[in-house]
Amino acid sequence: MIKLENIHKYYGSQHVLKGIGLTVNKGEVVSILGPSGSGKSTLLRCINFLEQPTRGIVEIGDKRVDAESASKADIVTLRNSTGMVFQQYNLFKNFTVLQNVMVGLTSVKRVHKVEAKKKSLEILERVGLTNRLSHYPAQLSGGQQQRVGIARALALNPEVLLFDEPTSSLDPELVDEVLTTIKKVASEGNTMLIVTHELNFAREISDRVIFMEDGVIIEEGTPEQIFNHPKAERTKQFLGKAIRTK
Amino acid sequence: MENLLDINFLIESIPAIISRLPITIGIAVGSLILSLFIGVITALIKIYRVPVLRVISSIYVSFIRGTPLLVQIYLVFYGIPKIIYYLQIQYGWLQSADVNSIPPEVYALVAFSVNLGAYLSETIRSAIESVDRGQFEAAKSIGMTPAQMMLQIIFPQALAVAIPNLGNMFISTIKDTSLVFIIGVIDIMGQAKILGSRGLAFFEVYIGVSIVYWILCIVVERLLVLIEKRARRYERGIAS
Repeated sequence: MIKLENIHKYYGSQHVLKGIGLTVNKGEVVSILGPSGSGKSTLLRCINFLEQPTRGIVEIGDKRVDAESASKADIVTLRNSTGMVFQQYNLFKNFTVLQNVMVGLTSVKRVHKVEAKKKSLEILERVGLTNRLSHYPAQLSGGQQQRVGIARALALNPEVLLFDEPTSSLDPELVDEVLTTIKKVASEGNTMLIVTHELNFAREISDRVIFMEDGVIIEEGTPEQIFNHPKAERTKQFLGKAIRTK
Repeated sequence: MENLLDINFLIESIPAIISRLPITIGIAVGSLILSLFIGVITALIKIYRVPVLRVISSIYVSFIRGTPLLVQIYLVFYGIPKIIYYLQIQYGWLQSADVNSIPPEVYALVAFSVNLGAYLSETIRSAIESVDRGQFEAAKSIGMTPAQMMLQIIFPQALAVAIPNLGNMFISTIKDTSLVFIIGVIDIMGQAKILGSRGLAFFEVYIGVSIVYWILCIVVERLLVLIEKRARRYERGIAS
């Protein structure tokens, strides 16, 4: 389970997160929607302290960290229990596909090489990339890179997977293979928090949808509630297109 | 008839010059290794804006760039023994060190490491900063420590970027080692001078030593191309 309490983030005088509270239960898939600049990516990055929250509490599993007194060790613990999938994939360019997935196990979790390789192969099998093991990221398509990114995040067996606009920099024809992989990962019972612009995908995959704007949560509910019966005027406006096409 | 060149003397001098090649290569390679440490540390100090050390390292870089290498070699050669002697008399430190038994090669190694380190510092800093921010974030996101992140992800990628510049500086250093004769190190240049004054055939031995330098630099350039290829192997495009 992951729980955020009263998360605030300032960039100088700019107040980009204004006291966000959020709970994601084990096995739940939650999507965060909202216009650009609403703070949704920042919120996601505050969970593993890639952005240091100015104030607030992040709780993952039984680890509770107060942003104002977080130590380096606290931050590493949070990062060990989260896996992140980036918009730009961010695969380690100097590592092969297999090494990208293995490195977290061998270096961070100190798993023996043989076992790490076995586990990495299993995960790569699940994302369908066992035929690309010794390729470098530069030799893969965007979709393949992102599937490796998902495998890398899965390898550490995190409490929660964080997806930061995982399909936003993909060519349109490559989006589906990545969405299919994410759906598969969701169906395996992983706890997931997804920032996305793919409205129909969010609707289909999520147990719960959150709509954010200007650093606050405007509305949250089941996809059915948010997409078909949104209460806030702003949510209606934003989702209008998706609702009409259904 | 007066000959322009005593070809036989030239040819005979070359094996003798080559016999001192290990000294030249030793000082060049040794100072490259030591200066890489200096360069990485000063670059990290600058990147992470470490207080105090940051000021010290920028004064160091500025001083080295702003003074001749020849002067730096003299400073090390005359300065270090004096400082050690002073510490022994004044504080009783370093009693076991015998100043007079330190071979000149050691001073040469120190001087060249300190010199090259300052030049490498900026190259290494810009190479590290050229690595995509996303690589840092991904390393952090899987819970790597800063040391793991640097050693496994950032340095290898920065090195690939920096190799052409590092290589040029290394080649300059190889040639600059010809200055070490002034503090009594007999490198290939020193050997050439000795042979030249012995046979009163300076033109011949300097042609000989320049050929040795030239070939050495060509070999090093070739090696650098191979090393760069290896370091950038992951950048090549789509394979089958």
